[in-house]
Amino acid sequence: MDKNTLSLFQLCDSNFPTGAFSHSYGLESYIQEDQVHDQATLSEWIDVYINEQLVHSDGLASRLVYDALQEGNLETVWKLDRMLTVQNLPRETREGTQKMGDRMLNLVESLYDVPVLSIYRERINKKLSFGHPAIVFTMIGHHLGVSKSTTILYYLYSVISSLVQNAVRAIPLGQTAGQRTIQQCQGVLVEATEKILNLDEEEFGIISPGLELSQMQHERVNIRIFMS
Amino acid sequence: MKDWTGVLRLEAEERNGKTVAKRVYFQGAFKVMRPIYHDDSGQACYYILNPGGGYLDGDRYQMKISLNERARLTLTTQSATKIYKTPNQLAYHETEINLKKGSYLEYITDPLIGYQDARYKQKTVINMEKGAAFLYSDIITSGWSPNGKQFSYDLLQLINEIYLDGELVVYDHIKLDPLHVNITSLGFMEGFTHLGSMIVVGEQVNHDLLDQLYEAIHEDTNEYKVGLSLLPVAGLIVRVLANSTQVIEKIHTKCHHIIYQQFFNTTPSFLRKY
Repeated sequence: MDKNTLSLFQLCDSNFPTGAFSHSYGLESYIQEDQVHDQATLSEWIDVYINEQLVHSDGLASRLVYDALQEGNLETVWKLDRMLTVQNLPRETREGTQKMGDRMLNLVESLYDVPVLSIYRERINKKLSFGHPAIVFTMIGHHLGVSKSTTILYYLYSVISSLVQNAVRAIPLGQTAGQRTIQQCQGVLVEATEKILNLDEEEFGIISPGLELSQMQHERVNIRIFMS
Repeated sequence: MKDWTGVLRLEAEERNGKTVAKRVYFQGAFKVMRPIYHDDSGQACYYILNPGGGYLDGDRYQMKISLNERARLTLTTQSATKIYKTPNQLAYHETEINLKKGSYLEYITDPLIGYQDARYKQKTVINMEKGAAFLYSDIITSGWSPNGKQFSYDLLQLINEIYLDGELVVYDHIKLDPLHVNITSLGFMEGFTHLGSMIVVGEQVNHDLLDQLYEAIHEDTNEYKVGLSLLPVAGLIVRVLANSTQVIEKIHTKCHHIIYQQFFNTTPSFLRKY
């Protein structure tokens, strides 16, 4: 079991080349407006990003995909792939996420021989599905037999650790401040996972207006480090 | 039929260049006035009335609007939608919109005002055929309470699902839940009180149109914050955070004009409210 958890952990490494290093999900807009400028304001932003955005989108989808895979109900998986994409209204963030999903799928396809990955790939090629990192990640977690809650928690962690690395470069912050931020996030992530496990399905896709708006505004930022 | 407080059904079609009602039916606390033709475009304008003056505890409203090929319709409210306190059960409003090829619906609602302790859920499902066009706008205010406290309502939830030829293409879910979320915070309302949304789906929407809108409404100001983007299908969204209904209405009107110009090569008529 430890071995499998370790294997899933490989996907959380910020060096795992999915392209996460080039996306800030609107954080760059806040940095440019000086609303996020130190460790405290970064933690505040991340807290909102986790609890008001990730939980209702990627997080809840991961839980539902895991359940669907458990039941062998692939139709639900494809439905969630679509839901995740069409609820992500800022184009840049949506397309960036899609690209990451695509790259992550390519990578894990060369690491694992799992039928569902090839089906997902085929659907994306035929434009029947879009591709989303939360779904690819959950497919691997499920395949490895890692529990649902751990899969969700690790996925959230992977998103946040890349995001903090990006913030460290962009604000900029010291590496120690970055690690301290990640450490502080851990409690938040555990609570968020708990929340996701108990969330009503009807809560899917709830947006956080300010975050969404800043993701849209980022499309108009002239000088930028990140693609979203 | 379930127990509805108000029901409204409207089916419209195009006859000799003019949009006319094929069927109109309303019951209970919902009403529409006779259509108004603001200009010679043939586009009909219907005002929805809520004779009760507002939504009360446990109220349930249902609306079904269908446009046949080439019908063009404006649907709007006569005044703000007020949600009064709902001690027992939330007020609910569901809408189904069906748009046939070549039809155009603009559904422009007045601001939503949640009173203290009010809970409200609205679900709108839009089924479009390829070649139909749809424009939607709403404004959510910070509500009303006797002591002037903002966000004193308990819940305002708005869900929009847009299907194009049966496939879900836009899912917009806003849930303002001041009891559980620090609503004024960074990332949420960010210190603003009003939230405006405009969603447009139509084959004529493209990047140039989005740029035009941006040029028209973008300003370096503290008065409002605006974000706009292209949807997963030909369409766009404009989101505005501001501190008054008027500021958002002004932005929505500007956008509406530019979009209407692109769609029909003319400007839309001013919506008179009585």
